[in-house]
Amino acid sequence: MKTEASVARIIGRTIRNRRVLSALLILTIVFSIGFTILPPLVLEKIVDTLTAGEQILLSVAVGYFGITAVSGLLDAAKESLITAFGQEVTHQIRSAMSEKLKLLPASYFIEREPGVTASRFVNDVNTVDNLFTSGIISMAADLCKLVSILVIIFTKSTGLGLLLLLATPMLFGMTRQFQKKMLKAQMENRVAVGRTNQQIPETLNNMRTIRVLQQEPYMLERYGDTIEQSYRAQERSNFYDAVYSPIVVSISSLLIGIVMAASAQSGAVQLFFGMSAGTAAAMIAYVGNFFGPLESIGMEIQNVQSAVAGVRRINEFLKEKEQKKGTDQRMDDTAAVRVSDMSFRYHDRDQEIFHSFCLTVRNGESILLAGRTGAGKSTLIKLIAGLYQPQQGEVRVFGRKPDTIPENEKRRWFGYVEQQFRLVSGTVADQVSLFDSQVTDTQIRQALDLVGLKETVEKLPDGIHTLCTENLFSQGQFQLLSIARAVVLNPRILLLDEITANLDSQTEKMVLSALRAASRNRTVISVSHRLYDGAHDQHARVLNINVCKKRLRSD
Amino acid sequence: MKRLDATDQIGYYFRKEKRMLLVVTVTGILYNVGMVAGPWFEGRMVQCLCDILGGNRQAMEMVTLVVCYVLVILFVQFMRCLKRLYVRKFANHISKSMKMTLYRNLLYRRREELEDAGAMMTKLISDADACVEGMRKFTTEVFDTGVVMVAYVGMLLFYDWRLTLLSMLFPPIAYFLAKKLKVVVTKNVALSRESSARLNAATLERITNALTYRIYGQESCRNAAYEENLTDYERKAVLANIWENAMQPIYQVISMLGAIVIIWFGGKNVFGTGWCAWNIATFTTFFSCYQKLALKSSKAAKLFNAVQKARVSWKRIRPYLAAAKEGPLPGALPLPDLSVRNVAFAYPGQETLFEGVTFQAGPGEIIGITGKIACGKSTLGKLMIGALPYQGEISLGNIIFSNHGERYEACVGYLGHQPELFDGTIEENICLGKPGDIGPVLCTVCIEQEVSALPEGIHTNIGSGGVRLSGGQQERIALARTLYHRKPLMVLDDPFSAVDMETEVRIFENLRRLTRDCVVLLISHRLSLFPQMDQVLWMENGRVSVGSHEGLMRENVHYRVLYEAQRKEDAPDEN
Repeated sequence: MKTEASVARIIGRTIRNRRVLSALLILTIVFSIGFTILPPLVLEKIVDTLTAGEQILLSVAVGYFGITAVSGLLDAAKESLITAFGQEVTHQIRSAMSEKLKLLPASYFIEREPGVTASRFVNDVNTVDNLFTSGIISMAADLCKLVSILVIIFTKSTGLGLLLLLATPMLFGMTRQFQKKMLKAQMENRVAVGRTNQQIPETLNNMRTIRVLQQEPYMLERYGDTIEQSYRAQERSNFYDAVYSPIVVSISSLLIGIVMAASAQSGAVQLFFGMSAGTAAAMIAYVGNFFGPLESIGMEIQNVQSAVAGVRRINEFLKEKEQKKGTDQRMDDTAAVRVSDMSFRYHDRDQEIFHSFCLTVRNGESILLAGRTGAGKSTLIKLIAGLYQPQQGEVRVFGRKPDTIPENEKRRWFGYVEQQFRLVSGTVADQVSLFDSQVTDTQIRQALDLVGLKETVEKLPDGIHTLCTENLFSQGQFQLLSIARAVVLNPRILLLDEITANLDSQTEKMVLSALRAASRNRTVISVSHRLYDGAHDQHARVLNINVCKKRLRSD
Repeated sequence: MKRLDATDQIGYYFRKEKRMLLVVTVTGILYNVGMVAGPWFEGRMVQCLCDILGGNRQAMEMVTLVVCYVLVILFVQFMRCLKRLYVRKFANHISKSMKMTLYRNLLYRRREELEDAGAMMTKLISDADACVEGMRKFTTEVFDTGVVMVAYVGMLLFYDWRLTLLSMLFPPIAYFLAKKLKVVVTKNVALSRESSARLNAATLERITNALTYRIYGQESCRNAAYEENLTDYERKAVLANIWENAMQPIYQVISMLGAIVIIWFGGKNVFGTGWCAWNIATFTTFFSCYQKLALKSSKAAKLFNAVQKARVSWKRIRPYLAAAKEGPLPGALPLPDLSVRNVAFAYPGQETLFEGVTFQAGPGEIIGITGKIACGKSTLGKLMIGALPYQGEISLGNIIFSNHGERYEACVGYLGHQPELFDGTIEENICLGKPGDIGPVLCTVCIEQEVSALPEGIHTNIGSGGVRLSGGQQERIALARTLYHRKPLMVLDDPFSAVDMETEVRIFENLRRLTRDCVVLLISHRLSLFPQMDQVLWMENGRVSVGSHEGLMRENVHYRVLYEAQRKEDAPDEN
């Protein structure tokens, strides 16, 4: 097995694999810093030339322009390279995460809202992207810029250098304080906005209740409350936002003023602060440039912090417990399904659903699982399909453990009609084939014919290649599609989970006859349901799980 | 009422915040005119230093200059601070009142319009945000770009009009180029956004259907497809970013062409061979003014875009900001005497679903309504709350349920297939703002023990749509809510579909006790309780038979067959 993936490893791998990109990135950053600090120096030279009463050379004017131009271009190149690098890393992270999906136990998907897991892929990985575009790399660049400006100021005017050095920690502290407060207010606002947004679909879904109970004023009050929360948080964030920049500008003006006053003095003070008129002009420009990177660093620290949380969640996801892989020991067995001495409980529950449970289903037999809700009918189906692994004992399908069956053979072993039809994004044909390249169009048509959907599909504008949306079929027709999906590759065993869809009587008949057709000549294990309580198969053996368990206990 | 009527006028929002706008105007003008003070003072100071070093001035003069400089800047920045604060306050206020108006209108919108408005609501909220953002930017930039640019240009012209005109040639070129380039940028950004949306959809799809793909052995194949999405997104995102980043420097470079002109001709001015006589102060002031102007003019385009975008958004939300009118509610609740006469119904464009429905019911009666799937029993229930137009007459006490006008659903308690629960506590879900003790209704629906077993009892939050409860619990909470808000006529559509038979019987007994002064219509596909109904409506093929359970068992073959079949079906479960 390969070593465990983590965000840090993926970044390291990306740097190794994309050496040229990484080197180019560092080079551009260095040059871009160099070029942003040059223009004030040229300005100094220009002012000094003028003070000395000399004419400015055209080459100096053009040179000033040239430096600004190159600096701008380098900045752009830097940003683009950082993005390219960040995108490469996030691509690799998402790839690793999608590989992880294959290894997670079925319970992971059942217990979690898909949206939550998807947000690991989308939002959390995006924070990692931010980590590059406006996080560590740009922070390093800004720090270098800050240090370079300080060094230049020191060589030109020790006094101003010292003043800035003293002011920096203070200003930086204030900046962080403001940013933290703003972030807090923004988070509160975001939570409130989330809550308000959620209220809209909720209101629409529950409109009948609201109308009938005349609770419009109550709903308005509820909505007003969250809007008010968001308003107040926004107000606070606005305050910090409005105040920050004026304070910084005021402080930098104060610094400039002090330096100018000091360098006009005579004696020791002058020596300490002293500078020419040109240097003064350059210094004013530098002080103006100094606070930009300082503020950015504050923001970048924030981005890094939020990225840390994202990275942690991604790492947690990548480290999520994986499903046990059974070892592939085939046994010769003529029984379609043999459950022997099997115990199973859900990992988050103490109570066992099955304890030393045994069951044999002969090839070609039809079994109807009955029993109370919660008895484990559906769980048994999932155990047979290999979605769950028993803690003790084993489940074998024609002598094989279901989870050791290779991916591309699965559909020849099982057809599984799920509780609800799962719409995949694709054409009608894709719904049946599930993008499986083994499935031919002819097979799809045959499967559709078997379930009685052939004519309906043929009437669609592009036949089986019509894009399938939620509104294309009725619930019952989707259920038929689900059956077609199960039998398209002619599986040996058909597993029918409980159908939860609300069907009208017409489609109910169609579903029944489709099930009857699909069940012909194969082993069928189905969960009892009022829809097809044995109706599709008169020869079915009814197996009440509760009774079955009781018998086992008393033995 | 008069004020509300104007909520669809943009002026209404500006007028409403008059005082705030006044503060913004005063501070905005002061700040932006004051903006020129920075470069002006900085030039003076450099010149002063130059003179002092040359021995032409005293150091004290510099100190005075510096004090003035710092004081002026402090004042200007204070103005700026106030302006920023009030512009944001203004936007925040408008955002709040717009959203409240939108929501109120959603609640009170007439039923026919709801379908349309509902689908649009989320879009409308983001439109409101865009609109407010546009109004904020507009108010900000009118001063920060408009006023300040006028101030800068005025100052530059004052110093040297020829040089100003010459150097001002370049920013428009930059603007023109940027506009051309913008088409490409917008296209690439749009492509990248599309790809990002596709990727997000693919992510959600891959995860939502993960188990289906696993069952059918398609996980590797789907991962490969996902990888294609990832590659496509990476390429497009990088490309869009490169174009976006390319804009700024090109813009900057062209603007800075003016700098060559200023350094060259400005230098001549100082040297004494130019168009005007300049000193160092003028040179530095002019130069830094020009730089700031170039920067500002790049923002002028942003102002234009924001206003444009806000205009589009405003157009979209405007119809939804007009105050909705609600139908009047009936004055007093009518007596529980239900009379349904010759009612017929058809969905638009379809054949008649049922006709000739006639029955009467008085206080304390529970009427069972049943029939095969799709016979129209749920539809009959919906007619009682005026959700659908019908023919015939339904009346309750002295109120005739017509299809228009009064909101007569106020006399009806209705529970549909969906529990329609809110993200809140159990108590909030049941009371919905009507204070009182929910204990009795919890007992009625046999959920009181389950509720008190919860960590926070009736104050437990049940999550969005009640996800933290089981289906059976959701159903019973919804029933409790309907019973809590008791009305003369109660319509319960399949209230026991997710509870077990035993509980169903107990709830029914409680229900009977609780509804002695109401008429209850109980729609169900499960018939086990029907022997206890006061009347039974059997719906089949558009016809309705009314009678007692015994009567129907004798006279209606289909009813009997269904009842017997279900009794047999239930039997094995009981043992």
